[in-house]
Amino acid sequence: MSRPAHPHAMAPHTPGRTRTAPPQMPSTWWSAPRIRNYLLFDATGIVYYLISFLAIGMVQALARGPESWEAVMTRLRHPAYIAFHVLCLVSVVFVAVRFFSLFPKAQPKAIGPIKPPPGPVIHAMLYVVWLGITAIMTAILAGVIF
Amino acid sequence: MADKTIVITRFDPDKDQAPRKQEYKVPCEPDWKVLDAINFIKDELDGSVAHRWSCRMAVCGSCGMMVNGEPKLTCKTSINDYGDRVDIEPLANFPIVRDLVVDLDGFMHKFQSVKPWIIRAKEKAADPIAARAALHPVKGTYSQSADQLATFKQFSMCINCMLCYAACPVVANEPEFLGPAAIALGHRYNMDSRDEGQGERNEIFRGEGTVFSCSYANECSEVCPKNVDPAAAVNQAKFGAVIDWAKNLVLPRGGA
Repeated sequence: MSRPAHPHAMAPHTPGRTRTAPPQMPSTWWSAPRIRNYLLFDATGIVYYLISFLAIGMVQALARGPESWEAVMTRLRHPAYIAFHVLCLVSVVFVAVRFFSLFPKAQPKAIGPIKPPPGPVIHAMLYVVWLGITAIMTAILAGVIF
Repeated sequence: MADKTIVITRFDPDKDQAPRKQEYKVPCEPDWKVLDAINFIKDELDGSVAHRWSCRMAVCGSCGMMVNGEPKLTCKTSINDYGDRVDIEPLANFPIVRDLVVDLDGFMHKFQSVKPWIIRAKEKAADPIAARAALHPVKGTYSQSADQLATFKQFSMCINCMLCYAACPVVANEPEFLGPAAIALGHRYNMDSRDEGQGERNEIFRGEGTVFSCSYANECSEVCPKNVDPAAAVNQAKFGAVIDWAKNLVLPRGGA
């Protein structure tokens, strides 16, 4: 049930007073549902890392001219790219929901005389700002504004 | 009454090279906590089992152990919430002194390092005449309003059970990390209206064992038996440490 943790985790400040066994941790620590969510949250970084290469490639294609840009657009219609973008969307939504749920309690109780609004209000504001920015971006990309 | 197999981690520093497991058949009563089962083993089956406990009412914080891989206060956890086989281990991430007893020295040092006491730049002189006559019962030397108390009261409820250290993935990998309970305690004093030691503590929070090692897994708050919410304290402490750093950058001599 156990595996070694870092050998110096919570090591005594004055070592050698008594012989101890090295610290352990559950061998299945990664399978607990809460930890699994946390690991997935961190693992979404890999998806952002990969899509950053795609974005750089698209900017380079744009610089190379219209034919190059059209070739990239054609490639993006491939089911693999569509699946990758769906994965990105799911990752972003997952990260946002987890981050928004934890954000309110991380706020300082007061900065000088200024007190932040209650947690549920901050929570709701985050969603409003997120949806608002998404709507504006969609409108820009659809050519509705600008 | 139901027979359960209780698997206890054993380690005798004089005999064992590494921790080993030992099984006990225990007739568990319906109202038993996990601690009752361990005490039964100690009293009736094997007096050599070593474990810590004291109050039996989730106040002293002594009986924290891993129950089926999760940090729990064994006096607060019903044995019948588990199946026929219950695995009891010493708290994860701590060196094991003997059986279910872990070494607290590293924890106590981290605790002490955040200066968990009220720091005053200059003590206020008491007014003995006013105190004797009780002329100003509210405006005492260190008076504090209910609102001021509310900003940190939650963080002062910690019972030092160390479950948060056993649950924290950062503690398991970064030995320097101050850890949830110590940071929560330091933050509790930083939030105290009577305290003037925020600068000193924020420097500690930014130094070795920095609060910024916390990746907000939130596990500490999930396992906390007193709803202290150490993850909130740690992440509020990050804000405090950054604001303090920015203030020092803009006003290096505190604006003097």
